[in-house]
Amino acid sequence: MLSLRFAIPTANSIASPKPKPKSAGSLQFLGNQTDIFSSGVSVPKRYDCKLQAAPTDVDVVNGKTSVARELSEELPVGLKKELMPKHVAVIMDGNGRWARQRGLPPSAGHEAGVKSLRELVELCCRWGIQVLTVFAFSAENWIRPKVEVEFLLSLFERALKSEFESFASESQIELLFYVMLFPSVRGGIRISVIGDSSKLPTSLQKLINEVEEATKQNTKLQLIVAVSYSGKYDVVQACRSIAEKAKDGEIQIEDINESLIEQELETNCTEYPYPDLLIRTSNELRVSNFLLWQLAYTELFFVRELWPDFGKDEFVDALTSYQQRQRRYGGRHS
Amino acid sequence: MDFKKEVRIVCGWIAYFGDLLLRLLWHLVHVIISLFYFTLGIANALESYLISWGVLKRYRSLHVNKLRYLAIVVESEEAYETSKIIALLQWLADIGVKHVCLYDMEGILKKSKDFILAKVDGAVLYGETHENNKLLDQTHMTLEFASFCDGKEAVAKAANVLFMKYVKSGATDQNQKGHIFTESQMSEALKTIGSGGPEPDLLLVYGPARCHLGFPAWRIRYTEIVHMGPLKSMKYGSLIKAIHKFTRVQQNYGK
Repeated sequence: MLSLRFAIPTANSIASPKPKPKSAGSLQFLGNQTDIFSSGVSVPKRYDCKLQAAPTDVDVVNGKTSVARELSEELPVGLKKELMPKHVAVIMDGNGRWARQRGLPPSAGHEAGVKSLRELVELCCRWGIQVLTVFAFSAENWIRPKVEVEFLLSLFERALKSEFESFASESQIELLFYVMLFPSVRGGIRISVIGDSSKLPTSLQKLINEVEEATKQNTKLQLIVAVSYSGKYDVVQACRSIAEKAKDGEIQIEDINESLIEQELETNCTEYPYPDLLIRTSNELRVSNFLLWQLAYTELFFVRELWPDFGKDEFVDALTSYQQRQRRYGGRHS
Repeated sequence: MDFKKEVRIVCGWIAYFGDLLLRLLWHLVHVIISLFYFTLGIANALESYLISWGVLKRYRSLHVNKLRYLAIVVESEEAYETSKIIALLQWLADIGVKHVCLYDMEGILKKSKDFILAKVDGAVLYGETHENNKLLDQTHMTLEFASFCDGKEAVAKAANVLFMKYVKSGATDQNQKGHIFTESQMSEALKTIGSGGPEPDLLLVYGPARCHLGFPAWRIRYTEIVHMGPLKSMKYGSLIKAIHKFTRVQQNYGK
């Protein structure tokens, strides 16, 4: 479900050729060709982006490149940094309908959905959202036609694999370019996958483990992808986990309470396990067995747009609505 | 020098009028936006009243039988307004809703349940007339009262019931553990501790927060959630509209 770059190292860990004696702030972006260094290295096509000026100043000290200044993107008008949600969850609904409306096969809708996810990940990085959880494939989705299920899983695997491999093969200069062009993702994206992975193909299980391991040190954004996930399953697996510990004598039966269950939930892979905001697309007003336990105080935002049509404007609307709402928690915090 | 002075004065006047014009423009934009929201509010209120009076045709015939179980979440501060709750339940009874679960975090509605049951004509407590939590068709309205302790706390208690069963069975193999800790086993355990009500089809949230305020998570897997605004400004038309919208929803359960 995702196609994005991860494990982006900080720029000062990359050696680079000597730059031309001109301010990096006035770099010219000419299509795919960006003549920054005297060596005339060109930016690979996948890094191509529409920027007016370079977002960083680059100083070369002792052969190392250090980022002297980072221009973090301004938040859209009306949004306050201190009121930004730490954790946003998204139910990416409507890929099939989007494709149907255009007379396309469901696979085309899922491909378009990946593009929306890429954009959302980039926006979360830019605007300082710490955790993004996306519902990519629910436990109930297994009942869909076999062809569609296989396509969805292969799309997920393909996206993970291509990013993982292309990242591994990149030269340090290319990485420097990436860091310079996208300062918002400096620090990297940490990817975690939650759900009943036992049902997934073994090749995908192996890949998930590799990606999670490779990105676990990244700090810019944690992307949690729910695959074969069900909220009820999450609670049940937490109870099973506690049962094992109880059996092994690690805990006493009297000790079992809600906080203990919370510690065993799959979202415990993040510092912020409770979403502040849940966005569901395609005008459906339900949570569809997603993060049932975790959503007790989550602001719910339902949008009309189908997931492939969900973009920056819709995300800004959701965040604006979230910031404007009067948040009350009653007497307890979950 | 006089010429320079005059230019300065003219520039000052231009700046003054320019500033005035910008301020006027700013206020005009504000007025337009305020008018837009005001008009929107009036339109919604008008629509609500038209629905109440039965003027709008499409809201006249409600397939209320599709709404088997309705849950209402009320913010704890508003839960003290018992008269409003009773009026809301009376409306629901008039519409033909048979089974309602009332929830607030602090359990204020639970404490007032006898008073509420006495005030709502023909209302009975859920569980008293139903064996095995079956929703049977009947003439009177059944009411269930829930609070925060029926949510996460109840799941923890149910888990304890299962743990005891698991430990007593002396099971060590993976299959036995998997057999006990299933979703259906958890649902059964919740019933044994008295927190195993049915899954609502529709959940209406009254209050400022747009969240379900800890309504029992185990029960809202496919529940439609609608935010209704503050209880003090509740409208019969809005209620009809929410139920009407629900009856037209097509759920595909993951398909």
